[in-house]
Amino acid sequence: MKVIAQGYNSFETKKSSEGEVVYLPNPQSVIKLIQSGKLKEHILLVQGGTTTFLSPALTMGAIGVITLSGAPESHLGILSREFQMPCVMTAHLVDSDTRYVTGGDNEEHFGAMISRLQGKRVRLDCSDVDHGKIVELD
Amino acid sequence: MSSYKKRYSEGDDGLRFQDLAYVGNFKGQEPVRDGIVGDRIMRSRAKSKVLEKVSREDVLKGQFTLNELNDLNNYLAWNIWDVLVMRATEGVSGMIPRQEYEILAFMNEFYRWPEILRMTTDEIGAEGVINIGATARREIGIKVNAVHDWCIGAVGFGMGRCGLLALEAIKPNDYVEESNEILKFMQRVLWGKRQDGYILNSQDRYRCAIHDKDVIETLASHIEYFEPGSDKHQKFTRFNASAELLAFLDHFDNRLGLGDTGPYELPDGKILIIRDLFTNEEVYHWSDACDNAGVPHCYSLLLVIDAEAMSLEEIRVNDISTTFTRPKNYIEHIVGGAIFVREKWNTPMSEIYPIAIDKLEKRVEGIQQATMGLYSKLARMSRRQLITNGMYTYYIDMILPHLRLAGTYEKACVDYDFWEIDQRVANYYYDITKRGFAQAVVPQKIFSGEGYLPFPDGTDLRRSKYFWS
Repeated sequence: MKVIAQGYNSFETKKSSEGEVVYLPNPQSVIKLIQSGKLKEHILLVQGGTTTFLSPALTMGAIGVITLSGAPESHLGILSREFQMPCVMTAHLVDSDTRYVTGGDNEEHFGAMISRLQGKRVRLDCSDVDHGKIVELD
Repeated sequence: MSSYKKRYSEGDDGLRFQDLAYVGNFKGQEPVRDGIVGDRIMRSRAKSKVLEKVSREDVLKGQFTLNELNDLNNYLAWNIWDVLVMRATEGVSGMIPRQEYEILAFMNEFYRWPEILRMTTDEIGAEGVINIGATARREIGIKVNAVHDWCIGAVGFGMGRCGLLALEAIKPNDYVEESNEILKFMQRVLWGKRQDGYILNSQDRYRCAIHDKDVIETLASHIEYFEPGSDKHQKFTRFNASAELLAFLDHFDNRLGLGDTGPYELPDGKILIIRDLFTNEEVYHWSDACDNAGVPHCYSLLLVIDAEAMSLEEIRVNDISTTFTRPKNYIEHIVGGAIFVREKWNTPMSEIYPIAIDKLEKRVEGIQQATMGLYSKLARMSRRQLITNGMYTYYIDMILPHLRLAGTYEKACVDYDFWEIDQRVANYYYDITKRGFAQAVVPQKIFSGEGYLPFPDGTDLRRSKYFWS
C-alpha cells in the first residue's frame, strides 16, 4: 500500500472508501455505470469539481470521488460533505511536479492522472484536515 | 469545547479559510486575507462611510457619491474573491458550460437590469424596495435571501461591469447612472432584510441571523432531536443532501437553489441553521421533471448543530447563503432537525407545513426521480441550449423574487421583454468562446477580484449609455 496521489480534502472524516477507480468522461458514462449496478464498487474519477455531472451517481449512493480540479468550496465539495462521501479534489500524483492550473491548458496533466489512476484499486484517506490521500491497495 | 463565539469579539480577526490573498485595486498595499480580518481591512480603506452602518435616510437617498460607488465596487470585488476564489478552481463541468453561461449572464444583467429595476422602484417606491427585503425576516422558503440580494450588486453590477471591461466593450467611466441604479436597489433590499445598518453578512462577522425571535420559536417547536449516527440522523442528513443536490441541478449547478440563514443560538446553546432548498422553480421549462415527481417549490430545513461536540471554531454564513465551518464536517454533529414544505413560491406562510423525519422516504424517492429525470433531460440538450438556459437561471432568477413581490414581473415580461437577450450580448456569445475567454476571464478576472476597475476621479455621475424608454 502506498500513497500515489493527494489533493484537497473536501471534509475530514474517519470513513474511508475503497474501490476500483473508474474515469467518467461524459454523462453517458455516468448513466451506464449506474445502470450496471456496480456504482458502489468504484471510486469515481472526474475532471471537474461541479455537481451536476455526477448528480445521479451522488443521489444513488456513490462511495467516493476523486476530482482533477475544484476545492471544498466548489459545489461538488459541498455536496460530498452533505452526503458524507469521501472526496479528494484537485488531486495530483505525489511523484510528479505537474499540477492543475485554473484556466490553463491541463490536457497533459489530466491525461497523466487518468492513465495512472484508471482501473487501480485504491482507498481514500480523508482523515486529515486539509489533504486527502489516494492509497493504492494492490 | 467550542471557541466560535470568540469570533464575535471586537478585535478578533477570525480564522483563515484559505491560503490565498487579495490585491484588487490596492496594488502596492498589503494583500488582504479572507474572513473577518479581510472585512476590517477593506472597510478601513474606504473613502466614504457606505461600508459602515447606514441609516434608513441614507438608503432612501437616490444617488451614491463617486466615492461610495468606488467603495462598494472595491468591497464587492473583495467579497466576491472571498466567497468564490476557491470555487473558481473547479474547471469544466463535463455537462453544463458554466463559465460560458455565467459571463454572458453577467453582461446581460448589466445591460438589461437597470431599466427593469428602475421601473420597479418607480412602481413601489424606495420604501417598497426596502420592504421587499424586510419580507424575508418573517418567511422561510423565500428567494429574497442573501445570495439573490447579493447577486443584484455583486453579479449584475460587479461581475457584469468587470466582464464588459475585460471584453473592452465598455470603459471605466461608462454606465455610471446604471451602476447607481443597480447598487441602490441592492442596498435597499439588503438593508431592509438585515435592519442592523449593515448590508452584507461579511460586515457582521458572517452572520445572517435575520429572522425575528417569534418566527424562530414557532419553527423550532417542530424540531425532532436524535443521536448522531442514529437512523433518524441518517434519514435527515440523507434528505438534506438529496434535496440540496436537486436544488443545484434545477438551477443549472449554481448557488441560487440554496439559502441558509443563521447561526441562531438555541436556549440550550446549540446552533440552528435554517436552510431553504429550492427544488422546483416553476419559471424554468425543464422543471417539469420536478413537477412530474411531485417535488415542491421549496423544502426548508432546520439543522441543529452541537457546537460543543464538534469543537466549533468558526461558522460563516457567507453572502452567497452558504454555511462553512471549522472544523469542516458539521454534518456528523447535527443533533436535531425539522423539515417544512412550501408548495409554490406564493404559498402563504400560514400554509407551509412540516413533515416528520420518519415520513421522508417517499419524499426522497420523489427527489431521486426528479434528479434522474432532470439529468436525462439536460444530457440531451445541445451546448447552445445549455448556455441559454443557464443564462436564464442567473439573469432571470437573481431578480425574479424581488419582481414577484413588487408585482412587476409581468410588466417586466410584457413591457420590457425581460426574457430577451440584449443583442450585443447575443453577439458576445461568439467572442467569449474564442481563445478560451470564458475559461480564463471568469476565474482569473472575475472570481479572483481582479479587473474591477474603479470609476475614474471626476467621472460625471450622470454618465450613461442607456436608452431609457
